[in-house]
Amino acid sequence: MEYLSSLILIAVGAAIINNFVLHYFVGVCPFIGVSRRVDMAFGMGCAVTFVITIAAFLSWVFTAFVLQPGAPLTAWVWQTFSPASDVTVDLSILNYIVYIFVIASSVQFVEMYLRKFFPPLYKSFGVYLPLITTNCAILFACLMIMKYVSGVTGPEAWDLGKALTLAIFGGVGFTIAIVMMAGIREELDHCDVPVPMRGAGITLIVAGILAMAFMGFTGVDRALANLMK
Amino acid sequence: MLTWVLVILAAGTMLLLALVMSLILGWANRTFHVEVDPRTEAIQEALPGANCGGCGYVGCNEYAEATAKGEAQPNLCTVGGASVATAIAGILGVAVEETWPYRAVVHCAANYDNRLGRSAYVGEPTCSAANVISGVQGCIYGCLGFGDCVLACDYDAIHMVDGLATVDYEKCVGCGACARVCPRNIISMVPFKAERMFVVACSNKDFGNDVRNVCKVGCIGCKACERVNDLLHIESNVATLNYDNYDPAKVDFSAALNKCPRESMLFVGKPSALDLAAVADEELPDRIEADFKTTADDTEWRG
Repeated sequence: MEYLSSLILIAVGAAIINNFVLHYFVGVCPFIGVSRRVDMAFGMGCAVTFVITIAAFLSWVFTAFVLQPGAPLTAWVWQTFSPASDVTVDLSILNYIVYIFVIASSVQFVEMYLRKFFPPLYKSFGVYLPLITTNCAILFACLMIMKYVSGVTGPEAWDLGKALTLAIFGGVGFTIAIVMMAGIREELDHCDVPVPMRGAGITLIVAGILAMAFMGFTGVDRALANLMK
Repeated sequence: MLTWVLVILAAGTMLLLALVMSLILGWANRTFHVEVDPRTEAIQEALPGANCGGCGYVGCNEYAEATAKGEAQPNLCTVGGASVATAIAGILGVAVEETWPYRAVVHCAANYDNRLGRSAYVGEPTCSAANVISGVQGCIYGCLGFGDCVLACDYDAIHMVDGLATVDYEKCVGCGACARVCPRNIISMVPFKAERMFVVACSNKDFGNDVRNVCKVGCIGCKACERVNDLLHIESNVATLNYDNYDPAKVDFSAALNKCPRESMLFVGKPSALDLAAVADEELPDRIEADFKTTADDTEWRG
């Protein structure tokens, strides 16, 4: 029960309270770039969610078994070479490069998959699909997971379930934010926006107002935690 | 010792990762392979990439796909003209008929002073709005002068000069946006077989007397041009030019131009050597740039 409630807290936290885009301001590039139409925004949100999940899964596996200080796989290799040593081997210098490697590969995979099975979506993404590679929202999710996995022991350490919950609901939060943005921008097309603010200006203003609105969720996690006690 | 083991471990991890990922991606590449017609890409390269929609497709890419599939003719690109048509035809391995760039021609020559029977119009300052109200000006065929075509043009190639839509042939790419937006359909796309084209600049289909009442320059259907030139015919009381047989090398239009009692025929496009010589010694004022100090627009009524 406690595990379930912690999962719910992570999910709500990632999706709404600490929304990746509107609280941490990561992944703003597709948030502004692909939020012109709701269907495209939803597709982008789904693609990011998919990539973020794969990347989080792989990065959790690599961090937990290979990269963190005293990881089982590295420790085993080290023990076979020098059985007498009691040094903890730490490969966490490789964290960033491995994450970027993993993200780039999964984006490539998604791109090929979309090109084969959803050509219209592939076309409408255009340059933004390869740009998921450099989408900081995904690297951010990997780094969040690293924070709770690498070198952390005991009940504080996250297992795969928690990592995946963070990734999936982080992606859901991104989808919520970008779809809301696209809905607002579709309405904006019919509005008489003052000339100097047209285009990027009004979009950024809307994004800022959205972010402020999401600040209203602060504290919901504490109330939820009390509720589930 | 520890450092070296660390380095080897790190390198081994990266290599292993690279191996696994390349295996997965290689498998995915083969499984999800999509056949793309190489000709489509070649045609995309050949097209100018203006995405103007003049060919009737949404963008250059769609047109490239359609031509590669054989659904569209290779000579539809108005921006690229003959050179692009030849290039595409070469890629597709088909022969292309001779093509000319299509350019917009306004079939009206009356500026404010030449239009009679105008009355004050207070309302939405667009041609499409003014067109549904009778009596804005005497001529119900001619240019209204509110500049819907100017707004439609993405290339800054059509302007209101003294109330008459005037095409800048240096800039016109022939996308046809102005012709589509004109509520009176007086802009047509004409094959420019020469840099200087002879056109009939009137669309008024009324009888001569009625034209005289509303316009100082409009075609009265007197058939004077028809008698001196085979390509010109009076249809519905207005002179029309047969562009299919238009051959700038063979046909001399000066007789028709001189015979016309009105001023509804003219040459458009690049000025001829004679024209340039005539104005060579004239002092031209410097180009006056727009002054954006005021927020008032210039769409007020000029009667």
